[in-house]
Amino acid sequence: MNFEISHRTIYRYSAPVAQSHHLLHLQPRTHPRQKVLDYSLFIDPLPASKTDLIDDFGNPTTIVAIEQDHTMLTFHSQARADVEAPADFDPAHSPGWNDVAAQLRANLGPETFEAVVYTCPSRFIRPSREVHKFARASFPEGRPLLEAVTDLTSRIHQSFAYQSGSTDAATPVEEALRLKKGVCQDFAHVGIACLRTMGLPARYVSGYLLTRPPEGMPKLVGADASHAWFSVWAAELGWVDFDPTNNLRPKEEHVALAFGRDYHDVSPVSGVLLGGGEHEVEVSVDVNPVEPGQ
Amino acid sequence: MNGSADGLALPQEFFSGYQRLAHGCDEALGADGAVRPAWAPFAQSFGALTPEEQAQRHERLRRLVAENGVAYDLFAEPGTRQPWAVDLIPIVIGTEEWAHLERGLVQRATLFDLIAKDIYGPQTLLKSGKIPGRLIFSDTAFLHACREAKPAAHLINFFAADLVRDTGGAWRIIDVHAETPAGAGFALANRLLHGQLMGDVFRACHTVRLARFFERLQSEIVQRLERDNPLIALLTPGPRHEDYFSHAYLSRYLGLQLVEGGDLRVIGSRVYMKTLEGLKPIDLIVRCVEGSHCDPLELDPNRFSGPVGLVQALRKNPKLVLNFLGAAVVENRGLAPWLPQIAKQLLGQDLILEDTPRRWLGDLDARVYVFEHAERFVIRPAYEGSGRPGRAEQGILAETLTPQKREALKFDLELNGTAFVAEERHECATVPSWTAEGLKARPFAMRLYVWAVDGEYRVMPGGLAMSVDGTPGVAMSAADGHSRDVWICSEQQAAVPHITLMRPAGVVAEALRTGAVLRSRIADNLYWLGRYGERADWVMRLLRGALTAANDGGSAGTGDGGPRALDLILSKDQQAGAVPGLGSDPRAIEHAVRQLMTAPGRGYSLPGLKSSMLRAGGIVRERLSLEVWQTLLRFSNVVPENHGDAADAAKLLDRLNGGIVTLASFNGLTAENMTRNFGWRFQDMGRRIERAFDLAELLLALFRDKPSAEEETARLFFMLDVADSIITFRQRYLFAPVLPLILDLLVVDESNPRGIGFQLATISEHLWALPQATQHSPHTEEQRIVLDLMTRVRLANVAGLAYPGPDGVRTELQELLGHLIASLPKLSEAITRRYFNLTEDELRRVAARFGQAS
Repeated sequence: MNFEISHRTIYRYSAPVAQSHHLLHLQPRTHPRQKVLDYSLFIDPLPASKTDLIDDFGNPTTIVAIEQDHTMLTFHSQARADVEAPADFDPAHSPGWNDVAAQLRANLGPETFEAVVYTCPSRFIRPSREVHKFARASFPEGRPLLEAVTDLTSRIHQSFAYQSGSTDAATPVEEALRLKKGVCQDFAHVGIACLRTMGLPARYVSGYLLTRPPEGMPKLVGADASHAWFSVWAAELGWVDFDPTNNLRPKEEHVALAFGRDYHDVSPVSGVLLGGGEHEVEVSVDVNPVEPGQ
Repeated sequence: MNGSADGLALPQEFFSGYQRLAHGCDEALGADGAVRPAWAPFAQSFGALTPEEQAQRHERLRRLVAENGVAYDLFAEPGTRQPWAVDLIPIVIGTEEWAHLERGLVQRATLFDLIAKDIYGPQTLLKSGKIPGRLIFSDTAFLHACREAKPAAHLINFFAADLVRDTGGAWRIIDVHAETPAGAGFALANRLLHGQLMGDVFRACHTVRLARFFERLQSEIVQRLERDNPLIALLTPGPRHEDYFSHAYLSRYLGLQLVEGGDLRVIGSRVYMKTLEGLKPIDLIVRCVEGSHCDPLELDPNRFSGPVGLVQALRKNPKLVLNFLGAAVVENRGLAPWLPQIAKQLLGQDLILEDTPRRWLGDLDARVYVFEHAERFVIRPAYEGSGRPGRAEQGILAETLTPQKREALKFDLELNGTAFVAEERHECATVPSWTAEGLKARPFAMRLYVWAVDGEYRVMPGGLAMSVDGTPGVAMSAADGHSRDVWICSEQQAAVPHITLMRPAGVVAEALRTGAVLRSRIADNLYWLGRYGERADWVMRLLRGALTAANDGGSAGTGDGGPRALDLILSKDQQAGAVPGLGSDPRAIEHAVRQLMTAPGRGYSLPGLKSSMLRAGGIVRERLSLEVWQTLLRFSNVVPENHGDAADAAKLLDRLNGGIVTLASFNGLTAENMTRNFGWRFQDMGRRIERAFDLAELLLALFRDKPSAEEETARLFFMLDVADSIITFRQRYLFAPVLPLILDLLVVDESNPRGIGFQLATISEHLWALPQATQHSPHTEEQRIVLDLMTRVRLANVAGLAYPGPDGVRTELQELLGHLIASLPKLSEAITRRYFNLTEDELRRVAARFGQAS
């Protein structure tokens, strides 16, 4: 399916900002099920320098510096992406989770190497007893991996309340686990933490959902902003996505922006400023289906 | 005494009382008890000194260490400062053994450099499983963001290894450092202090000097930069960091500009330093900040020790920073088991120096083995991230844990084993240590340094040794702070070229000269050092005056100048414990004085002022001469905290007198020893503004209202005393002071260095000499303020000022002094805005998060 994406972030400052540096992950990445057909980025005021690069996780990244006094800053990205639905398969026929974990520990071959980094602790996600305690109920010995993850996803969905403002950008997994609430970022973090605690590779996926669902379908949570979910590596089946916020396996209505170990690697817009006083941020996202070739 | 006919001792005799430990190996004595050849010259020449001479040297060394402030942790809570002691006896290493160590260390540096290049480049070692990917990717020292940057000749320019000798006599590497120069400043400081006292023995042993090594390093740096007068910075986390001394020492020694993240700014691909004259481009950064703390934009978002955008600058200019950001990943202790094979593969060589036997606990088999043989192992973090000598974390002895705790540890390691290693326990060789009771055997470790810029690696011919406590895992862990110099001594009478330390060859010194640039933050702190110093002096004079007057037993003629002055201070510093409105009760006065002398953390109490001076002084320390710094430390010793309760008034007075004299020598030394550059001008302006303000305040408090004639005379004497102007007055006038004359002397007269007029004239001279001053109208804000004040003071009529109105209030005096009191803070703010403002902005992070639309 083809999508048109518009993502606008506006910062308003109570005092002039003299200099600001921003790190952007706003250009949707390509992956086996996703092609990016078009992309543009509008920045106001005009940056003094702008560099595009691909980060260590394969994501298009932009670094900008603004060197003039400003009290408002706008990033507006527009993209067109073509997303294919993943092949359907029966979770019961996926490899046993113990075997996948053992394969990763042995670190054999380039296929597993790509996944190794996603088994390791990262800034927001560190292994802990609490996480292990929550995770292990979904992972009895020998259970097929995707069956276990499907179960984990629905348990997170059931046990956690989606509540804006209950956590912030720096809330660690333990805290979210204790509160049993959060936003999509926390849901994804908890899922990833559980998988890594079991020795399995899991990555954070930032992206978008369709803003207006097709006729007869419910509107998904997270559709008005950028969304986040996770992806687990399932040996020969490759990376498989799960959305614990909506308790489903993403098909073609999830557009991926970037992959990372956790939020910190893929934050769409983050920056460091000189001055500025108080700030307000306003984000608006619009994702609509378009006819191919339109 | 021991000694032979030629003035040398017999080596064996020197060690006659030395009890080496029963097991293990000793540096000085062989297994048969014979003195090792490398130690013979040392034993001969040092042994020829009388025990008294040795004791004297020991004592002087101890004093020098204290006075130089080695390991003086400025911001540590009192009593928690890490001790630092230097042993009179160095570690002596013969040339043959040294050659072996050199080969081994150069091989290590080369190997780790190749490993780092692979990790930040193609990652072949990881993909092929030669190094477990999980080991590297779990290490927070591995910086994903830095993989984009193209490597320079070396990723590791400053390398160091900590070694111990095991009981079999072989050297083993217990830790490596690839992040920063790892406490090299401590090694240098030890050598210079030690050299001052042991020069004769040093020469007699034909010890290799360090100077040539540093000279080469400097010239390599200059070669790389290919530019005249390059600006080279040493980036430090700042005076709050426990290694700050080492950073400051090294920067001074190498002639580098000591900077903190806040002094720098990245624009485009260049890094600039904020100075009084604006932004100056930096050519090279020697990094003493942890890699992940260097750029809040792309690395650790909560650390601001480096300039925002440094990683991006590094991508465009990979040679900008030594060591490369992220090089510390090779410090991971878990690498040890894989190194022999990697050395074969990458270098085609066996390791010359082996690691202490270690297993990485990210490995399941290793975990099983370690718990089966728990008695043999110490479990420790795989990475610590601190290069501080003597601060390694202690390991866990699994053997000593209760079964319950052992199970818990097992489970933790299953979850988090990638971050831990198990080390086989072993004893370390000992070395004789000098004590007043004779030689004592102490186990030790030593850190050796291997450096390169673009060329080949060279080993610094010396090092830093420390006593170790071997039981909780071997590391540079001198809990007792016991450190030593390392001497490389040639048994033969080889000609050792004589090059003095601290004096690099002319051409190098010329090229590295950076003294002309003054960072805004340094100017800021010099200014406040001046203000706090003056304020401390003023407070001590007031306290002394008040206490002296009170001690006269309230006899007639002492007046209430003292209590009023104390009230003035207390009103600014209410927390000091006493309430203003003292009255003339001598006990209340004594109590208030004691409070102000001992209560810590108050803005106007002496301990509070002392801390402020030390803080500002610590930040500008590299600008202060050693003597000035030592005087500052001495002053801080005169002002103890919380020891005042037992002291009677006489003792308090003694202490105040001591403090005033020490501060006077601090100020005198500053005046004498600081070149008349901008830095000096800012410090002096701080003093002048403070003095003018303090004088104006006290004059107003004492003379606004006209008291009885007798009381006024008493207050005038008090005023003259605290303003240190009695002699000046006596030289001019032979009669008792009267207010108009005092006002002439302390307000109008521009030739009295204790008067307001003089302060204003001096401030104006400084302001006109600063870089951003304007010589003609329109003047800057601060110039206008000082012109206004000078004019008012010059035009003042002292008779009019002293004339009281019908209500007894001297309105003209009140108006003039009130104007001064209101304007001087504005002057200070104007200077701050113009010259220090670059330092005032605070960096903040902003981010839009997921799942949160507005």
